[in-house]
Amino acid sequence: MHRVACWIFVFLCAGQSLLCGQDFKVLDRDVQIHGFASQGFVHTSDNNWLTMYTSHFGSGEFTEFGANASMQVTDQLRIGAQIYDRNLGGIGTWHPALDWAYAQYKWKPWLGIRAGRVKTVLGLYNDTQDLDFLHTFALLPQSLYPIDIRDTSIAHDGGDIFGSIPLGAKRGTLSYTAWAGNRDYSQYGGVAYLIRADGLNFNSVGGLQYGADLRWTTPLKGLLLGISRMNVDNTLNYSITEPGIGTLLLRSNDNSDWTNQYYGQYTWGKLLVDVEYRRSWDDAGQTGLSRFQEDSRGWYLAGSYQILKRVRVGSYYSHYFINFPLGGVEPAGTGHDYDKVLSGRVDINRYVNIKIEGHFMDGYGLPGATPNGFYYVNNPQGLRPNTNALVVKGGFNF
Amino acid sequence: MRNATQHLRTLIAASLLMTPLAALAGSGTVRVIANPSVKADAISAAELKSVFLEETSSLRDGSHVEPVLARSGSVHESFIREYLGKTDSDLQTYYRTLVFTGRGSMPREVSSDSEIAAYVARTRGAIGYVSPETSTEGVKTLAILGMESDGNRRLITRVEPVYPRELQSKHIGGTVRLRITIAPNGSVESTELLGGNPILGESATAAVKRWVYAAGPARTKTEIVVPFDPSR
Repeated sequence: MHRVACWIFVFLCAGQSLLCGQDFKVLDRDVQIHGFASQGFVHTSDNNWLTMYTSHFGSGEFTEFGANASMQVTDQLRIGAQIYDRNLGGIGTWHPALDWAYAQYKWKPWLGIRAGRVKTVLGLYNDTQDLDFLHTFALLPQSLYPIDIRDTSIAHDGGDIFGSIPLGAKRGTLSYTAWAGNRDYSQYGGVAYLIRADGLNFNSVGGLQYGADLRWTTPLKGLLLGISRMNVDNTLNYSITEPGIGTLLLRSNDNSDWTNQYYGQYTWGKLLVDVEYRRSWDDAGQTGLSRFQEDSRGWYLAGSYQILKRVRVGSYYSHYFINFPLGGVEPAGTGHDYDKVLSGRVDINRYVNIKIEGHFMDGYGLPGATPNGFYYVNNPQGLRPNTNALVVKGGFNF
Repeated sequence: MRNATQHLRTLIAASLLMTPLAALAGSGTVRVIANPSVKADAISAAELKSVFLEETSSLRDGSHVEPVLARSGSVHESFIREYLGKTDSDLQTYYRTLVFTGRGSMPREVSSDSEIAAYVARTRGAIGYVSPETSTEGVKTLAILGMESDGNRRLITRVEPVYPRELQSKHIGGTVRLRITIAPNGSVESTELLGGNPILGESATAAVKRWVYAAGPARTKTEIVVPFDPSR
């Protein structure tokens, strides 16, 4: 609570002049410095949520910050990097990471490349999900953008080919991004948290991921339609330490996991409507030892409206369903989490905002199989079927 | 009592006079200006949008360009609504998305039209927008192409004007401004030369009279700009 009070004090005291991006010159080129920070507070009615102990007095263990530097070297070439840290209950735990760092070369609007650590373009918001100040909602729909495992699909070490192709006034514009690279799960993310909670040692998860995103800005003003596909070959390295016996190293390989995502966005004046559907298929295991399959499907419908110059209200329904037809450690089964959300955002000025949000959740996914906000280790009393949550969040960017 | 009635009448008359003026101001006539290092005299609406959305940083003629924006104001609101199709809030979100994903920079923002004009005058490749009343000393005004449609009447057939060879060989070019009247059937009924070289004006008039707009319920008037670029 002290941290929350400190952040609020900082927000209120930060003068607007301090919140402008900073520029300086290197080799006669402008270098821009920008950053952001936010602090959240979460209180839940029943189950503890998002690895925080939220169900008694609530928890303020929800802090994010980031900073970047970038330079336009020539008309075609730009370089930059960003550091990011999210601390959410037992996740993150004050370990900043390199969020992105790459060089981008753009020959023409229809052809460019990026190389380095690149945010993965998947659906409407995968690459911008950490940028709280861009969104009306304090938490994006967890059926598609689960905050506790954001590290699993957020970026890749590799490259993108991208561009936009105008199709003429009557046909709109087609934008594409094709990408390939290595993904690497965080040592402090939700997957590592779940594995350690099971008494195992988490060593690493990573592997090749490749895919593409295609989005069509249609000739109908305000309407965007898109589709994304991602393929993954992951390897999980973990171990078990038994007293008196030693450490047994284990490896689990994914067999061509994939994700398909379909989306649409419509903007009409002050109204914004988003709809997305994602299906992910995992098939993993150790030859001759164990194997599991996981089929998760999520969709949401979200709408927001700017009712005043600095006030926006919104609501969404988020639907998550997981089928675990072939269990490894967890018995086969299904789980769900249906979330109804009401939200309001106030922009104090261009740089500072405050959000308040109510979640009314039915279900808790399948916590033993895959992370989805609820963990047995945080709920030793057993999980109850419904959870209501209040989320208050304030942040600034410059 | 009589004085009070007269005062009321004056107020009503003033408010009736003010209404169309306010509406006109709100519609936000905007002048697009550029640093003299920018070679082009005209820019298409699509290219202008690409520049301000940071999709491109050079024009078709190879000129380097970089946008400068106002932080707020009616000219700013009009410009981003008419040419970028966004509200200020949408535009801020757009730029922040570029900045925090590493795909672009935050463009230069200044407080007033005179600051924009001054910045554009001293910065190579700068392109901005000001109200028509702003002094544009040291900058060039760009004609916006592709805005021939007046909102209700879509241009269906466009005939390019003949560039008199003698003028082109002597690098005499620029833009011609015409006011045209469009008949209900879509043909160009009449033209009036508002500005530009008279010989180029004749050529532009001859071409524009062959333009065809979408049919409409009534006769409409609009202003258009026809460019003559001797380098093409």
